[in-house]
Amino acid sequence: MGTAISTWRSKGLLGPRIRILEHEAPLGYLLLAPMLLLLVTFLAYPFLFGIWLSVTNAQIGDNGHFVGLGNYVFERGDTVFLQSFANTMYYTVVTTIAKLSLGLVMALLLNQVFPAQRFVRAALLLPFIIPSVLSTLAWRWMFDPTFSVVNWVSVHYLHLPAVNWLGTTNTALASMMVVNTWRGIPFFGISFLAGLQTIPVELYEAARVDGATRLQQFRTITLPMLRPILAVVLLLSTILTFGDFTLPYVLTNCAPYNSTCVLSTWAFQIGVNGGYIGIGAAISLVLFPLLTVIVAGVLIGLRSEN
Amino acid sequence: MSGRKKVQGSGWTPLWDRREFLKQAGVAAGSLALGPALLEACGGSSNPTTANGAAIPKPRAGAKVQLLQWNSFVPAADDEIRRQAAEFSTANNVTVTIQTVTGDQLQPKTAAAVEAGSGPDIIQMQYGWPHLYDTACMDVSDLMGALKSQLGTVNQVNDAFSKVGSKYLAIPYCQVPNAWSYRTDLWQAAGLSNYFTTWDELAADGKQLKDKGQPPIAVSLGHAYGDAITMWYPVLWDFGGREVSADGKKVTINSKETLAAVTWAINTWKAGYISQNTLSWLDPDNNQAYHSGLITATLNGASIYIKETYTTATNHKYAPVTNNAPMPKGPSGLETLNLVFNHAVMKWTQEADTAKAFIAYLMQQDNYTKWLNASVGYNAGPFQKLASADIFNTDKKLKPFQDVVATGKWPGWPAQPSKATAQSQVQFVIVDMFAKACTSGDAKSAIADAEQKLKRIYETPA
Amino acid sequence: MAASRALIRRSQRYGKQKHEIGDTLLGRWFRVYIPVLIFIFITLFPFYWMAITSIKSDSELLDHTRNPMFVIQPTLQHYQALFTRTNFLHWTLNTAIVAVVSTSLSLFCSILAGYSLARLRYRGANAIGWGVFITYLVPPTLLFLPLALVINQLHLTNNLWSLILTYPTFLIPFCTWLLMGYFRGIPRELEEAALVDGATRLQAMVRIAIPLALPGILSAGMFAFTLSWNEFLYSLIFMSDTAMKTIPVGVTSELIRGDEFFWGQLMAAALLGSIPVALLYSFFVDYFVAGMTAGAVKG
Repeated sequence: MGTAISTWRSKGLLGPRIRILEHEAPLGYLLLAPMLLLLVTFLAYPFLFGIWLSVTNAQIGDNGHFVGLGNYVFERGDTVFLQSFANTMYYTVVTTIAKLSLGLVMALLLNQVFPAQRFVRAALLLPFIIPSVLSTLAWRWMFDPTFSVVNWVSVHYLHLPAVNWLGTTNTALASMMVVNTWRGIPFFGISFLAGLQTIPVELYEAARVDGATRLQQFRTITLPMLRPILAVVLLLSTILTFGDFTLPYVLTNCAPYNSTCVLSTWAFQIGVNGGYIGIGAAISLVLFPLLTVIVAGVLIGLRSEN
Repeated sequence: MSGRKKVQGSGWTPLWDRREFLKQAGVAAGSLALGPALLEACGGSSNPTTANGAAIPKPRAGAKVQLLQWNSFVPAADDEIRRQAAEFSTANNVTVTIQTVTGDQLQPKTAAAVEAGSGPDIIQMQYGWPHLYDTACMDVSDLMGALKSQLGTVNQVNDAFSKVGSKYLAIPYCQVPNAWSYRTDLWQAAGLSNYFTTWDELAADGKQLKDKGQPPIAVSLGHAYGDAITMWYPVLWDFGGREVSADGKKVTINSKETLAAVTWAINTWKAGYISQNTLSWLDPDNNQAYHSGLITATLNGASIYIKETYTTATNHKYAPVTNNAPMPKGPSGLETLNLVFNHAVMKWTQEADTAKAFIAYLMQQDNYTKWLNASVGYNAGPFQKLASADIFNTDKKLKPFQDVVATGKWPGWPAQPSKATAQSQVQFVIVDMFAKACTSGDAKSAIADAEQKLKRIYETPA
Repeated sequence: MAASRALIRRSQRYGKQKHEIGDTLLGRWFRVYIPVLIFIFITLFPFYWMAITSIKSDSELLDHTRNPMFVIQPTLQHYQALFTRTNFLHWTLNTAIVAVVSTSLSLFCSILAGYSLARLRYRGANAIGWGVFITYLVPPTLLFLPLALVINQLHLTNNLWSLILTYPTFLIPFCTWLLMGYFRGIPRELEEAALVDGATRLQAMVRIAIPLALPGILSAGMFAFTLSWNEFLYSLIFMSDTAMKTIPVGVTSELIRGDEFFWGQLMAAALLGSIPVALLYSFFVDYFVAGMTAGAVKG
């Protein structure tokens, strides 16, 4: 042990002892600096600018002037906005529940032993890996109004009528949800798998000895132990799904008749393509207060549990 | 006569075969070799001036200019404009590059460039974008004056889109005319001899097709960037419906004329006289359906006809039986809508003179005609002297695509293009009105819904 | 290093445990094999579809009378066109460069920030920890316009650096959170022992904490790489020249022309743009799982 100090010194790593860096606070801030520099330049400034845009009547190329909450009030009378809001909620809630349950099932399965396990795990990650634009295009081709392979299978093999998947509001929304779920299951699955693998075997063995059924073991051991990771993964996925743009845009672009808009695509249509960027910014930020409350609530809940 | 040549090879082939191409190239080289004198006499050169001298600027040696446009359905047209850019570059010791993106992506990129105050030097403005981005487009009225004296009068739609107030903020570039392409064999099999010339005849022909078990007429009711608005705006107009008053201030959509138009649409759609499957159709969908024989007729640019006739991609399956027809008329008249493109020089450019010189170069009659021919009828010229090209003379089937240009109007007509008309178009208000009405069967509520949307766009103070 | 290897071994041991009684072969088929097969089918069918589409000739693609699930006359023309008539190789290179560098940059920032927020005590640490997460609430469809302004002012348009510097805005938050959890899970005693032995705090961080956090770093890196590989909107706006585009942008901007989707080439590009990354992942997937473990649970 006596040689330890000389060992460290002789390693010469990171140079001489800089007094100030031995205190937690200066070192703490210094270590935060790179992250803060990047985030302030490329995130905070655009974000603040976006907030500013949302309270002006700016148009593309024209800065406009301050209108307070005027944009938000204006949007309350916009039927497409109201529908987009509802669609966004519906879309997020349904897909999150689906991804959660199917992800859990996937994790439970992958936790078992079977041949080619590593290959299967990698294969099941593919929907997560492929660029979303391209996989959504592939799905659009699968749902194509004229050439849908889904329709082919259902007509020729299942003897069900062909469905205009992207042509009616409900089926189009359902298609969006299917693709989102397909794309999102791997993330939930792998995260839960990681969580499952921290649960000690002994807990299950003890429960088995006590006569608990599989279902009871699941409810009393698995679920509670997964709760922390469940909360965070759920949170992240919900937030990202609320803001999802690429999938709805490529799959339906609000058709039929602007009924399948979500907030992000409607904001894009009216703000970027239509030029009313102030209103577009307001629409994009509508969910922000709600989401902040949700995030804060979940994080507080997590922290108090720990 | 360099007619239609079905050349082997995959996909795209040039209009001329090798021999012809070398001949044409030889002519071009020869005319260049004859020097500036001859070219000036013919009214074109790499460094043009006109009677009033200074109106077309000279490019600055060493300048770098970027032009952003959509990628054309006809790759040969893009190749040709790139070739002309290279030619201009070497002749004037500048660098002109052409950047292309797909149509849908052009607007967000343009919006970002305008918002950031920097980007390409020349941007291809589709539809009424010069009005939308009027703060970012340079005043090119003097260049326009020079071109008008060179090339004659301007097509009314290009003019309306390019002119903001009393200034020209863009130079007219081209149109992509939309007309009907249809299968003559299926038409005859259904016992029809002539193509419809009115909207009511369309419904009748559609009925005939249905009764005889032939594939339907199909047009997009979805958010197709081109096909949907080139159909449903004319339907509205031809029955007398108008979105807004001529001064652009009062929403006039809720009228008995509009009701007539919407009722026609509902009756035709509900009875299955036009395909009911098109609510999610984007621009490529009707092309795909036609090439696989699933529809008899559709409204489109010349792309369907071009793909069948001038490429080997479909093995010319329906080339002999594909014909084109112009737009029908309604009780109130015949109006058409085509895709219209203009070139804007952006205010932030450091090389305004070179940019203007390049645009002028593209619009020179011989250059422009070469580009028109390379497009094999997909594009049409905006100036009087650019209205014709060899291809329209040699291929008579392309005539309908010329016919629809003269009656062309723009979204929001009879009001002038503006930010509000652009917003209404981007939100597909008119198309959605028809789509909603057809699916619900309720004309009045669809019109009322459109009226409410249009009021929010036109009548709410900015 | 030893600790992380132990962690992986432990997860493998847990992973390989057999679950309980009633474990007949038939039971396993019902409970495990068949559901796994169903999952594989659902997950991979679209990829099969992409593969089939990419080897069908154009006329077969548009032939609605044939069964679309099989190919009659496979052709490699789309792959050939992809490589010879588009800049696909450039796009792949660009995407890879951006992904690797932005991931490295993000990991650098996240490791430092995660250690700082997890280990060191100072005012504002808590607030910043949460603030990091809040950044995900800002939609990119709102951000890209003002961001374009910033990029232009920095003269970074059409430069891969515009992406490398902006991607960390959505990569850093999750990686930081993941690594925070991981660093918290490392016993303080190890670093404190090193401090007692004369190491500087920085030395303790670099020589003790970071090596132990390696699985977490690897999994954060994989997550960041995937998101970066995937990104579309910023790349569309900031990159203009065809040779400078990334895969998602290059493919959609040049293989969709006006009235035509070049489905064959599109699907070929989709496959080529994902399979190599997946193969890469198959080597690291054990680390990925192990790395998510500690970080996630302690989150």
